[in-house]
Amino acid sequence: MRSATAVAWAGGIVAAAVTLLLPLWLSPANLTVYTLAGLYAVTAIGLSLLMGYAGQASLGQAVFFAIGAYTVAAASLHGVPTALALVAAPLLAAAVAALVGIPILRLRGHYLAFATLAFQLIVLSVISNTAFLGGGIGFAAIPSLGVNGAVLTSARGFAWLSWAVTAVAMVLALNLIRSRPGRALRALATSEAAAESAGIAVVRYKLAVFALSAGFAGFAGGIYAFFIGYLSPDSFPVELSIEFVVMAVIFGLGSVWGALLGAAGISVLVQVLNQVGTAPGMPEYMPTLLNYAAYGVTLVLIMVFLPGGLLPALRSLWARVAGRRGDPGGPVGPGQGAGGPSAVALGTALASALRLSPAKDAGEPTPEHARRQ
Amino acid sequence: MSALVDYLISGLAIGCGYALLASGFVAIFRVTEVINFAQGTLAVLGGFVASSALTSAGLPHGLAEALGVLAAGGAGLLFGWIAIGRKGTPPLASLVITLGLAVAAYAAEIAIWGDQPISYTALPGDFVLAGAHLLRQYLLVIGASLVALLGLGVFFTRTYAGKGMTACASNKFAARVVGINVRRVGLYAFGLGGLLGGLAGVLLIPIEPLSFNSDIGLAVSGFAAAIFGGLRSFEMALVGGVVLGVAEALIAGYWQASYQTVVALGLMLLLMIWQARGRMELA
Amino acid sequence: MLKATDLVVRWGAVTALDGVSLSVADGEMVALVGPNGAGKSSLVQALAGLVRPAGGTVTVEGRLAYVPEGRQLFYDLPVEDNLALGAWRGRNREPKRVYEVLPELAPLAKKKAGALSGGQQQMVAVGRALMADPEILLIDELSLGLAPIIATGLANQLKVLHETRDLAVLLIEQNAEMAFDLCSRVYVLENGRIVTSGSPAELRRSETVRRAYLGAGGAFQGTGDGTAGGGAAASDRA
Repeated sequence: MRSATAVAWAGGIVAAAVTLLLPLWLSPANLTVYTLAGLYAVTAIGLSLLMGYAGQASLGQAVFFAIGAYTVAAASLHGVPTALALVAAPLLAAAVAALVGIPILRLRGHYLAFATLAFQLIVLSVISNTAFLGGGIGFAAIPSLGVNGAVLTSARGFAWLSWAVTAVAMVLALNLIRSRPGRALRALATSEAAAESAGIAVVRYKLAVFALSAGFAGFAGGIYAFFIGYLSPDSFPVELSIEFVVMAVIFGLGSVWGALLGAAGISVLVQVLNQVGTAPGMPEYMPTLLNYAAYGVTLVLIMVFLPGGLLPALRSLWARVAGRRGDPGGPVGPGQGAGGPSAVALGTALASALRLSPAKDAGEPTPEHARRQ
Repeated sequence: MSALVDYLISGLAIGCGYALLASGFVAIFRVTEVINFAQGTLAVLGGFVASSALTSAGLPHGLAEALGVLAAGGAGLLFGWIAIGRKGTPPLASLVITLGLAVAAYAAEIAIWGDQPISYTALPGDFVLAGAHLLRQYLLVIGASLVALLGLGVFFTRTYAGKGMTACASNKFAARVVGINVRRVGLYAFGLGGLLGGLAGVLLIPIEPLSFNSDIGLAVSGFAAAIFGGLRSFEMALVGGVVLGVAEALIAGYWQASYQTVVALGLMLLLMIWQARGRMELA
Repeated sequence: MLKATDLVVRWGAVTALDGVSLSVADGEMVALVGPNGAGKSSLVQALAGLVRPAGGTVTVEGRLAYVPEGRQLFYDLPVEDNLALGAWRGRNREPKRVYEVLPELAPLAKKKAGALSGGQQQMVAVGRALMADPEILLIDELSLGLAPIIATGLANQLKVLHETRDLAVLLIEQNAEMAFDLCSRVYVLENGRIVTSGSPAELRRSETVRRAYLGAGGAFQGTGDGTAGGGAAASDRA
């Protein structure tokens, strides 16, 4: 399989080069899409790790994005050097996650999902009521990100910053997956009980992944604040959290490249729909309507038909087309196929660990189930 | 004193609405183990359809609301079919599906009804109690809710179909043994959740206008009330709804309306965490 | 009449039944014995239509009712509702006719099923099955978890029912001694296959059967806790 990994590496490098050069040719409007796609991708990667590896559903991930953004805004508007504020953003988001995670992560799947949603609503409500945080109106005229007098203001500059941040996030995530803690996480994802008996401190790992995913989102949120220049509680609604879920789920949980593709794909789709929606003759609410339709329908279709995500399905399709039976060795992102189960098996395993798809060989309730009832 | 009566009665009315929503969550969860994130959407749909029936179709009150409730019931069946109709969809996946349905419903709602808040007047006028001026609508909400919840109780304990549904909730395997089609009963549970949600919508919309994204607030409040009973008890859902509604009214009245959310949700979180105590010790 | 031909049942990668054939004629009382994990529950669930077999066929002529292992009642509902629900597939939901056959249940009608003793619950489970007016009865581990005297009492009641209603009964039992006493024919299931069958008398003559299920020399009675006499030997072979 060494040739497959080499192909994968080559593919990854080509993708990186292409995306790096892309901002040279994009229009200002598309540069915004590009930049935001990168920031959303970073958040989606963190969420994908959380849902895929720690098996924790999070319907409120946008809250950490918001915490990062607000840290940057509040800090820099109150005199903190912007670069420092940006460093503080992920740290604060991660710290909040760690604190909140302690009581919350012990909740069962659906309760946890609602708890994360509730937490987002609470934080947004608190922010709306706190003058220091801009209240319901929020912050405008956020200072530009800069170091020692050099400031970042160009659209292209932000696009490249977004690229860099995404690249770093991907490298971090991929290395994490391949590392010893990453293997422990994978064990945790497949069976908590087994992982625990193997001596893995399940709770600590879950907390760590939760905090890490929050850190990713927080950092992205921080850059978002500098990029957009203004924000309010309305910038981070529950719908945004759901958008992150769609991005993470659509190509397959636990897949770093999947999260990137999801974020990029959705961002492009939304931009296209915006073009359609703002065409002459369209009612004013059309872009919003199309957005909701896109997210909602995508989420429903994926969860009903391919809860393991598109990547595993595409890979098995590729394997069948290329004539290979069973375990496909097809194009794999750098580091994905290294040493672990095949990507297809992993995607489905993670989805079933999160209990988003039935365990691979599930039939009718087993006699054990019957006995337990 | 009159202020207190105002808060208590208005809180009780809203709380009854929450109790209806909560009962929808309970009805669905008991049978299917799915949390219907679109429960709030069903309320909004019910209210919207009733409003259209009143204004566009010129239907009289009573009939229009009934239409709204039935439409919500139908929507519930549809949501249920999508969420659990396919064999082998685990409950958590179904939860995420209802999430997607709620978002997709936004698009449909905006397309049909636009993005502005909608309301109508059902029972106009007010009455005076202990010096407080109260909307007559509050009485309608409280009365209708209690009747509906009583009817629900009768359904589950005295009708064969209701007992069948309770059986599915009690022991799925045994239900299948006696020949009950558990998945179909799950669909009916979704339909029932739709009816309850729709009723909440048509009762609440005269008090607080609803728009397409009002579903989140309603769903969260309904869910908060439902977990008073661990998502399994209708009686506790009623208690939870009333407690929540009154608490919110008191907070809005004596403190600040914008803190309602924080307190209601904070209460829900504390309750959930407390219910889960002892499940997991920090290593 | 109940017949299974070359039945194959799989749970994922595990094959629980590997080509099982058996039959129960009208009015016959047949036993199925075997150690834990032999596939008895898979077999009876396939016969009851709760599990789709991966291969083979099940032929059922007549109404079939299933008394599952471990009672499996609606514990939150009262006894009378448990019984009424047994008639889900039928029309007559009146539990009175079950009270005639199992009079001990009549005073318990309004009691919650979860509050009953093991023996009472087992009686409710049987009564619930009877509500379907079955011609064929599948009973999985009637005596499991019951004190010997209760199990024996139930077994006798079952015998009476079988005779008065001319029911075809398939009795799945770990308590082989009791099964041999009640039934006219016995199948032995091990590791997903029928290894032997015949009348109780024939099987008693087999040394291997005696040692595995009836206790060496037949002198050791089955213990009332549901394990076959000579249980150690049986599990050694499992």
